[in-house]
Amino acid sequence: MAQEPADVLIIGAGASGGVVGLRLAEAGFKVVCLEQGEWLDRADYPGNKLDWELKARKDWATSPNIRGLAQDYPIVEDDTPVSPLMYNAVGGSTIIFAGAWPRALPSDFRVRSIDGVADDWPIDYFELLPYFYRTDRQFGVSGLPGDPAYPPDTEDAPMPPLPIGAAGLKIARAHTKLGWHWWPEFNSINSTPYDGRRPCVQRSTCQSGCNEGAKASSDLTHWPKAIALGARLVTGARVRRIETDAKGLATGATWIDHDGEEHVEPARVVVVAANAIGTPRLLLLSSSPAHPDGLANSSGLVGKRLMMHPFANVAGLFEEPLMSWQGQFGDLIESLEFYETDERRGFVRGARWGLAPTGGPINTALPSRAGEQIWGAEHHEHVRTHLGHGANWGLFAEDLPDEANHITISSSVTDSSGIPAPEVHYSMADNARRMLDFHIERAKESMEAAGAFKIEVDRLMRYSGWHLLGTARMGDDPKTSVLDRWNRSHDVPNLYVVDGSCFVTSSGVNPTSTIAAIALRAADHMVETRFEQQVPA
Amino acid sequence: MSAVASDPLATLLADELATLRAVADRLIPAAGDMPSAAAVVSDARLRFVLSARPDLLGPLHRALRAELGTDVARRLEALGRDEPSTLGVLQLVIVAGYYTDQQVRDLIGYPGQMALDLRTFGFPAYLEEGLIDAVLARGAVWRDPSTGKRAVVEGTPRTYAERFAAMADAPVAESAGAPDPAPEGGT
Repeated sequence: MAQEPADVLIIGAGASGGVVGLRLAEAGFKVVCLEQGEWLDRADYPGNKLDWELKARKDWATSPNIRGLAQDYPIVEDDTPVSPLMYNAVGGSTIIFAGAWPRALPSDFRVRSIDGVADDWPIDYFELLPYFYRTDRQFGVSGLPGDPAYPPDTEDAPMPPLPIGAAGLKIARAHTKLGWHWWPEFNSINSTPYDGRRPCVQRSTCQSGCNEGAKASSDLTHWPKAIALGARLVTGARVRRIETDAKGLATGATWIDHDGEEHVEPARVVVVAANAIGTPRLLLLSSSPAHPDGLANSSGLVGKRLMMHPFANVAGLFEEPLMSWQGQFGDLIESLEFYETDERRGFVRGARWGLAPTGGPINTALPSRAGEQIWGAEHHEHVRTHLGHGANWGLFAEDLPDEANHITISSSVTDSSGIPAPEVHYSMADNARRMLDFHIERAKESMEAAGAFKIEVDRLMRYSGWHLLGTARMGDDPKTSVLDRWNRSHDVPNLYVVDGSCFVTSSGVNPTSTIAAIALRAADHMVETRFEQQVPA
Repeated sequence: MSAVASDPLATLLADELATLRAVADRLIPAAGDMPSAAAVVSDARLRFVLSARPDLLGPLHRALRAELGTDVARRLEALGRDEPSTLGVLQLVIVAGYYTDQQVRDLIGYPGQMALDLRTFGFPAYLEEGLIDAVLARGAVWRDPSTGKRAVVEGTPRTYAERFAAMADAPVAESAGAPDPAPEGGT
């Protein structure tokens, strides 16, 4: 007997997959999700264990190439100075993301109109605002209302802000002297008990999974609710290709289990939520006579315009102890003082600054960000003056889209299921380099104003490709975009892409909040148009 | 045989261990009240590190191979020049063994990543000091896409008290274990 097709098949159980899965399950859709990773038990997370800093450099590294776990796929990254980072599990990269939850700003959606570069989005900030409020509630956001870097809100964050710590206060005072913007960061980390989850304990190990369940990850915030409403989540399911019929409509997906067995999951609608590396990889691997250059790729833009937010780090060291190994890794505070374009600076667009904790003693001796190794008798003085005495400004530069930054399919490297790996071809634009150089100098001024006795700089951090964006952009013109304004493929009317691939431009802020809001908007549209939705016979 | 399989330390030869401790003494010697890594990175600490990270064992063997000679400085120089990732493993094993030792942690004042209770009452120092007021007083930072210029929002509050009067009793989370310090000179 033929398998009854799902109403909607979601590929990927991360942030955007979770948002769409829950919304559609609430609306009564028969939802199936295929996830190549597994459910994780947060009791196994290393953050509250003595070997945390050791595990964070291997099994809990943010780079799949360093982890090399069975559920990871390799990424060929010989042709990029920035390594893409992600996690493969139920919850996806929300398992290891920092939890910082800024929204894209109004100007981010109108880059062409107001700055004359790149492209405008087909949607704007104000259209997304109701979805921001809803996803803030779903994920659980802590924050101080009223940040003048954004238009006034009509709804506050559901929880009060997290502490900014001694380092955050020191920098806030400095910015007050300088007359520069700062604000306590919005984080999708509980500051109070919320939605059945515990509050943050300030352990600062957010990027190794949250032992408390205080940081939002969709394995906690979305999938249990979706499953309770009838969604079926299949783990260890590595999708090889999206299948299509003679009319070019998506009919489901072929996937491979742990034992190498191949399965077919039929569906009326397919939603891809596999991040801006995994999604174009899958679309390009799903070519067919009707879609010879890859699925949904008549524009030729699938896999193109990859943006990753080139990232620099400016660390200040202070005489007094700040206990800066503690605190949410999420950010303590942010600054958007230099976010908007000022062409006198020699570049367009800007960067967001996020102030983060600085890690434990192993990271002090062997810094993964700015800093140096000191050996011999001076080693002890180095650790004494660095451990707990630092504050890190992380600088996220807006990455403008460039078709030369793209994903291709490897002809020689595969994952453990034999599926060809993605190759990343990426270089940092001159505009972004000038932007980071400017911001590094301003961040140094910030640290100096705060009284830092030493400042250490990492001008472009290799392992910083947390924000994967743009490889299946949305737009109104099928010739110049992959998706329409509702995240639906122009070419395949029952295929949606809801992850960061849809971004037209990158903004200069951590994107998960915006990805989630866009995904919820797309899911609402699927519900509202369910009776007009074209599906295979 | 099972001891070898389950105990990563059992695969390290005596000469390799002696070399490891010589390197440890070079990288982190005793100074002041701090002990040397050679004294701290015991078999137990090495076993802990290599059990947590069995992937380090292979490169560690390479880093400690006899053909690199007995001169520690030359070994480190050769590894740094020809095999930086192998050198990185050697450094990580020593550093991790050293800084996961309780005595060392006590000496450097590092209690580990602590679980702190958040207090959900009171106002943090940044509000008390008027640092938020200073941000609000400067007005909107965002750029209005309809004009391309910094937004002008009429009627927006210019102080914390104004903006948050309606939520004056709302809780603000503070860390009980790591409170924001009071202004300079306070406690």
